[in-house]
Amino acid sequence: MAETVTARTFSRRRSLAPLLWLGPALVLILLVVLTPVFIMLRTAFRNIDAIGFDHGWAGWRNFRQVFHEPDLHAVLLRTVWWVVAVVVITMVFSLALAALFNQTFPGRRVARWALIAPWAASVFMTAVVFRWMLQPGSGLINVLMHRFGLLDKIGDNASHADWLGRPEAAFWWMIAVAVFVSIPFTTYALLAGLQTIPPEVYEAARVDGSSTMRSYVSITLPLLRPALTVATLINIMNVFNSFPIIWEMTRGGPGDQTATTTVFMYQIKAQSIPEAAAMSVVNFGFVIVIVLVFLKASRWKEQVS
Amino acid sequence: MKRSFVASAAICAVAGLVLSGCGSSGNNGEAANGDITLTFLGADYGTGPADSSTAYWQKVAADFHKANPKITVKVSTINWNDYDTKVKTQLQNKDYPDILQGEFFPQYATDHLLAPLSDVMTNPDAGLAVFKDGFSVGGVQYGIPFDTSARALFYNKLAFTDAGITNPPTTWDELKTDAGKLKAKGYIGYALPLGPEEAQAESYLWMLGNGGGWQNSSGKYAINSAENIETFQFLKGLVDAGDTEPNPATYDRTADSATAFAQGKVGMESNGPFLTATIAAAGKLTTSDYAAVPMPGKTGPLTQTLGVADALQVFKGSATKLAAVKKFLDFALNDDNQLAWAKKYALLPGTQSAAAKLENDPILGAFVKALPNTVLYPSDSNWTATVLPAIKKSIGTAVTGDPSKVLGQLQDLATSGS
Repeated sequence: MAETVTARTFSRRRSLAPLLWLGPALVLILLVVLTPVFIMLRTAFRNIDAIGFDHGWAGWRNFRQVFHEPDLHAVLLRTVWWVVAVVVITMVFSLALAALFNQTFPGRRVARWALIAPWAASVFMTAVVFRWMLQPGSGLINVLMHRFGLLDKIGDNASHADWLGRPEAAFWWMIAVAVFVSIPFTTYALLAGLQTIPPEVYEAARVDGSSTMRSYVSITLPLLRPALTVATLINIMNVFNSFPIIWEMTRGGPGDQTATTTVFMYQIKAQSIPEAAAMSVVNFGFVIVIVLVFLKASRWKEQVS
Repeated sequence: MKRSFVASAAICAVAGLVLSGCGSSGNNGEAANGDITLTFLGADYGTGPADSSTAYWQKVAADFHKANPKITVKVSTINWNDYDTKVKTQLQNKDYPDILQGEFFPQYATDHLLAPLSDVMTNPDAGLAVFKDGFSVGGVQYGIPFDTSARALFYNKLAFTDAGITNPPTTWDELKTDAGKLKAKGYIGYALPLGPEEAQAESYLWMLGNGGGWQNSSGKYAINSAENIETFQFLKGLVDAGDTEPNPATYDRTADSATAFAQGKVGMESNGPFLTATIAAAGKLTTSDYAAVPMPGKTGPLTQTLGVADALQVFKGSATKLAAVKKFLDFALNDDNQLAWAKKYALLPGTQSAAAKLENDPILGAFVKALPNTVLYPSDSNWTATVLPAIKKSIGTAVTGDPSKVLGQLQDLATSGS
């Protein structure tokens, strides 16, 4: 009798034991992830005034306001452009860089370390530095372009030198900065993937007379798929949510002509807190949909398990 | 024993992380021995550590403390660029200062946060009368004008001579012609700061020149009135001709147009008296190299210019606390302090008595005299909460895009809530 009781308590204890180890992480997730999500959802349905006072339930009014924003359409379209352009360009560059860094060459260690720099620097700082380099009168990029004859005129009233004042030009510069800061992580993720490919496979291919190009397309890329999938997925989420680059370089301006949905959400906050929360909910939905679609398309489960 | 101490310390630490910002003000700033600490939050009008407003307020607080050893005023300031966001965030977290200097939000009063001015100043009518209505909600005044400004057209005399212009413009057509001549000499003809910082002021000055404004004579929003659309079409023409800097929608007043004027790169711009301080600091132009005249309108100069005031407002508190605040405000707004502030930033005073003392000042005098007759921004709560942020964000795009569309969207926003 006594024995079975002990055994039962023991097994119950055993089943509870993992909780002890999972507990801190669960509490953290609850506090840091789920609580804000809950507050965001709640805020989106409240009537909150400009200085943060809650005047009660608002129903779907905040969402109606978001969907009536005259510029929402343009912002959404721009966000798609932003994500596709940054991720595709980053992946192409990173594939090339990863292939390069997978070769042995003198100075490889230094080169690999150097690649970390844009990653190690805060994204915000990088954006500030680029904004300064693009300053119309004395920014480094403008001065150099002027010296090389690529810009006819620099200065306060030189319209071409004012890159960040013209929405299209500003947007392309920001894409460039986003690619610049995304490349290190992506390259390292792909490099790690490359190093898991056993050299014997290449040897066998060489014996069979396969060309370098053929080996790359038929061996490297397929075997790199798990790494590619993870890198692309993380990049998509990162780039979609990216705020500091655009905010620091243009504040989404002029107007909201360089804003993505994330920046647009913050801009809306200045005129309505709950409407911005509603926009956040919409953004949150987008991320979830994008991730699900991507996982479906890349058959995530087969890759990982 | 020891373990429970560690555990409770840990709980406190975690709770502190979650609830930080709530714990410190538990005693409300009032100590048992009658000492009172007041918190003062102000805007920083300076451009860097050298002329920071914190230093000014710390000196005022120290002088005040000498005379009233029982009362300590803790000062902090926020740069104007971040002012809106930071103050709103602080208030949203229910962390109220005792005294707030800067923009007046009617919501402070409608949410019952503010003490009426009559409770916190010995003479609640000390401020310039023209701003009284703007700082009142439901007939009760909650803010006192602390510093003010009036706007005028500044022009660079050296640039004008260089371009062969003898007299400053009085009409839009003259301004356009002059801007063209200045541009030909490599200057920014007219600097048009329609960037977020103060697009509402620049836009308003131009609207007034065509008999327009943010609201019509009966106090209803009329942002896309025919007059205003015509005004922005004129501005668009100015921008298209290259008579301004290339991208007005991202061009701000302090960082861009004022700095460029002080460096002698600008022919004309509208600005407030504080531009004289920027010019003096840059050391490039002397006081005889530039002058200020009334802003040109479509057919003649403005008879009433734009007046702007920043407020001092007091958050509710115990009677003891409000009594302490009253002493401090009476001191902080005395003529000496008002004039010291005016001199420091080339702003105009907020009180009548201090303003009267500046009427014959060679630089500020003309601006002071214009004050009683100025036009102000709308003062309804929808203005500061919704309309103003939207104007700051997007009105600049009216001179690159379609003026009637941009102004129409702003009008929709302004009237949708009511």
